[in-house]
Amino acid sequence: MKRLTFLFSLVLFFACNDAPAGETETDANQTLQEETAETETPTEPASAEETTPVKFNKYLGYYVGDFEAKEFDSDQNYSYINRITISIEEMMDGEISGRSIVAGNDRPFSGTFNQRESGLVEVAVKEPGDDKYDGAFSFTINPDGSLVEGIWKAYNTGLAVPERIYELDKKTFTYNASLELPEHVGWAQLYNGEHPEEYVDFAEALSEDVLAFNPSSDKLSKTDVENMYQGDLEILRNSIYARHGYSFKNRKMRYIFDSYVDWYIPVSVDVRAQLTSLEKENIELVKRYEDHAEKYYDVFGR
Amino acid sequence: MPISIHTIVQGLLLLLYAWFCYLMWEITRQYIPYDTDVAFLRIKQEYISRDYYRWAFFLHVYTSILVLPAGFTQFSKRLRLQLPTLHRRAGYLYLVITLFLAGPGGLIIGIHANGGWSSQLAFCLLAGLWIWFSAKAWIAARNKDWDKHRNFMIRSFALALSAITLRVWKFGIVAVFEPRPMDVYRLVAWLGWVLNLIIAEWIIFKFHKK
Repeated sequence: MKRLTFLFSLVLFFACNDAPAGETETDANQTLQEETAETETPTEPASAEETTPVKFNKYLGYYVGDFEAKEFDSDQNYSYINRITISIEEMMDGEISGRSIVAGNDRPFSGTFNQRESGLVEVAVKEPGDDKYDGAFSFTINPDGSLVEGIWKAYNTGLAVPERIYELDKKTFTYNASLELPEHVGWAQLYNGEHPEEYVDFAEALSEDVLAFNPSSDKLSKTDVENMYQGDLEILRNSIYARHGYSFKNRKMRYIFDSYVDWYIPVSVDVRAQLTSLEKENIELVKRYEDHAEKYYDVFGR
Repeated sequence: MPISIHTIVQGLLLLLYAWFCYLMWEITRQYIPYDTDVAFLRIKQEYISRDYYRWAFFLHVYTSILVLPAGFTQFSKRLRLQLPTLHRRAGYLYLVITLFLAGPGGLIIGIHANGGWSSQLAFCLLAGLWIWFSAKAWIAARNKDWDKHRNFMIRSFALALSAITLRVWKFGIVAVFEPRPMDVYRLVAWLGWVLNLIIAEWIIFKFHKK
């Protein structure tokens, strides 16, 4: 099934690919992933509030925080921490359902819950199992619905990280074009998240340039971006997706937005339909200079 | 006959020059087949839609590659004496390209150069001087004023070589200092040819002393 979806999206990708020639392989991959993601996005239950009894309404919503490795195979390329959103969407008659969004993967789950006399809600849910990274969550929601705490175990025990723990805070997500990157992103290192080495050789530092503009609210011109390093451009462009709650598959981006950007809440694996026309124009512009820097910055040529 | 150090050095330099010509050809090849959204043009989209810019750019790219081999052979004394016809024909090729195709093309691209007024001025001066030196060399040849012809060809070819030296400087500076992309561009826009011209003047000066 997965393969079929992939093939289908491949067809989609080529059918509506109006991207200019000379695009790098990574772009193509990224677009491809986005296409794949789109076909996988489950439809949200439209009537969650109607089917969920009022007394459980306070438990519905997004719980966001670190999805931290409890056990991991250090021989494999593992991600120690990812930012996860657990979205609780429906609770009725002891049944609970929702989605988990982490590392570019949006998965539905369903299972059972049981509220103790103390008000603590105990939850055990499972993901469908047709994705490599599916598993089972068991967690508790505290009585006032502000905190989720628990463990996740992968079905596939051979994964680099078969078990993760988490403590998540309730958050509401609203798109806000004026959110700025925090200042310390300017001093961050870009790295591709390879473990066990913390920083690999080709790690590249970001600069204060990354804070100079907000591409969700400022119209960027060629002169704004032509003198910027590739790393700064990449973070600048991806900050647009981050504001829309895009969950990054790309480890390099995850590392920056997960560890440095407090306001970042991953809620979707495809935000293309939400992008404003200003953002689309800026993405197109920045991407050009990124590609140019990638191909030509350090070679014999211009 | 033992091979002298001089011959070895000359041979190595020749190989090096051939290697750089090959690299320049690789850059030219990016624009074959004709495409207005590749390589350097990816960040020139606001100009490439204009007819005159497109003409100037592709004339420059497609013809200037011939200037490197055509110009280089002109400085061989043996070729000049033994194959005067070849010298004359290669010379015509060099001058026609420089004066009417690659030179004016470069001037128009230079007007719209990336990096603001400083690099625009640098590239326009480069193109202007290149055309001027080449014209002077042609006129001197027609007047059979061979010293003057030689001097202006040295100057002209020194500027033609900026195609290579500009890119070598860029490569070296990025490898060592990793500056921001447009900072290095503004720098090599001048460095790429001014130094060549100084060396050319020094060579001409040495000839005079002989």
